[in-house]
Amino acid sequence: MTKPATVRKPRIPLNHRGKRPRFFDASGTDELMSMVLELTAELWVVKKRLYLLERVAGQAGVPLTPEIEAYELNPSEVAELDERRRLLIATVLRSLEVDQAARSQVREEMETTGRVA
Amino acid sequence: MLKDLSHDLRVTPSRDERTRQEFVASLRNHILADMAGSMRAHYERRVLPAFQRDHGRAPVDGDEVHDAMQEERYFRFYSSIRYNAQEMVFRSVIPVVDRNLEDLNARARQRPGSAVLNPGLPVPNNVSNIDVHLSPGSYHSEYELDDVSPGAIYDNSINVFAFNQMGRDIDDIGHSFANFVRLAFPDFRPRSILDAGCTVGHNTLPWAQTFREATVTGVDVSAGLVRYAAARAASLGVPARFMQMNATRLDFPDASFDLVFSSMFLHELPLKDIRAFFREAHRVLKPGGLFLNMELPPNNKMQAYDRFYLDWDSYYNKEPWYKPFRDQDFGQLCAAAGFDAGQFVEVVVPRYTYTPEADFIARIKQGVRFNDRTGRLGEEIEWYAFGAWKQVP
Repeated sequence: MTKPATVRKPRIPLNHRGKRPRFFDASGTDELMSMVLELTAELWVVKKRLYLLERVAGQAGVPLTPEIEAYELNPSEVAELDERRRLLIATVLRSLEVDQAARSQVREEMETTGRVA
Repeated sequence: MLKDLSHDLRVTPSRDERTRQEFVASLRNHILADMAGSMRAHYERRVLPAFQRDHGRAPVDGDEVHDAMQEERYFRFYSSIRYNAQEMVFRSVIPVVDRNLEDLNARARQRPGSAVLNPGLPVPNNVSNIDVHLSPGSYHSEYELDDVSPGAIYDNSINVFAFNQMGRDIDDIGHSFANFVRLAFPDFRPRSILDAGCTVGHNTLPWAQTFREATVTGVDVSAGLVRYAAARAASLGVPARFMQMNATRLDFPDASFDLVFSSMFLHELPLKDIRAFFREAHRVLKPGGLFLNMELPPNNKMQAYDRFYLDWDSYYNKEPWYKPFRDQDFGQLCAAAGFDAGQFVEVVVPRYTYTPEADFIARIKQGVRFNDRTGRLGEEIEWYAFGAWKQVP
């Protein structure tokens, strides 16, 4: 068995001091909100990673990881990713939009681009 | 896509870390543009009519709107998501700073710029007792000897926080008001300028860039911020000095400066400290000098809903002094510090970085006008500032 590499211990705290406010009456809802948002952030990270992986694989082959780190997005790819990210956020939070017009607009955008989820 | 900071103290995130930062920036844009619009619609459609039925009148201030919004489901989601996004700003930045800590401090030591530290200076309670705006470690915590990480965390966090709306190096506020002074008062050529509570000096340097003959000084209570601000200025090649000093007890002789500026500073101070800083500003200004504070607009000039909207940070973002400050009469604050009531200055400007100069000038000429874009981050934002001229005896 190989000895695990020494991991540098983080020194700066990630959490702020003090209680977090509760925005919801139902127990656990505040925590669920954090989970959903963190999950969405992670999902976006994966989606973008995959996007890059596909582009790079088409171009070069192995080794992929340094290629992904180095890949330069061109302006139209940047614009495409900006739009996809905006749409992902609007989709995950769409249950809050009781306004029917807003809802159908999101649906329309989903159908037009055909790329959500 | 987020732009990297342009100076040599920037820390480079991995591809995935950068993607996470972009997500948080986009999420904030969604909250402050899309969700804020929906929330206002909920208020007007449901909350306001219900309030009017119960009280026979509309809410008169932000607290009444805030109370009325408590039962509104959309407001709870808005607040929850906005609160989480604020936490995620720091969570997307701190691991990158942490990993680069030793290298970052080595770079800052290599080209330290002009920093004057005062190790004996106590960190005031309003900074040390709470993690201001949910920033872990607040403005001052250090993790290495001669650490600049408080500056790196602040600089990189506001880059995510601002979602590309506050200038190339988050310096649009500085450029907007330095150029306002240049264009609005062409006969006023400040030769010594002080920026109080300057943090990383992002809004200090535009004064040196606009008034090239001026000596520009930034002060802050946090040693980590002062070191970082000085090294950042050196890296950008802009002459400015930074000093660890408390703005409520300035270590400068009377009549030292032509212009005393601050930005986004007062709302983090207890009222007694604001009053003390204003007296100090009056003391260190030369007669004929200008005192100018970029800030959120005062509550007494805003509609009830807009007061409530801007005060969110005071209720939920660990900025307890934000609303007490905005509830003040800013003219009276200046007068109480010795400024002549007739010398009060108040201004609303568009963002200089994003506005052609002719349009910038035209907007200044329209005078002060408050609306739901004043001080509200987004593409349409206009910055507010107030202060006073120090009278010539």
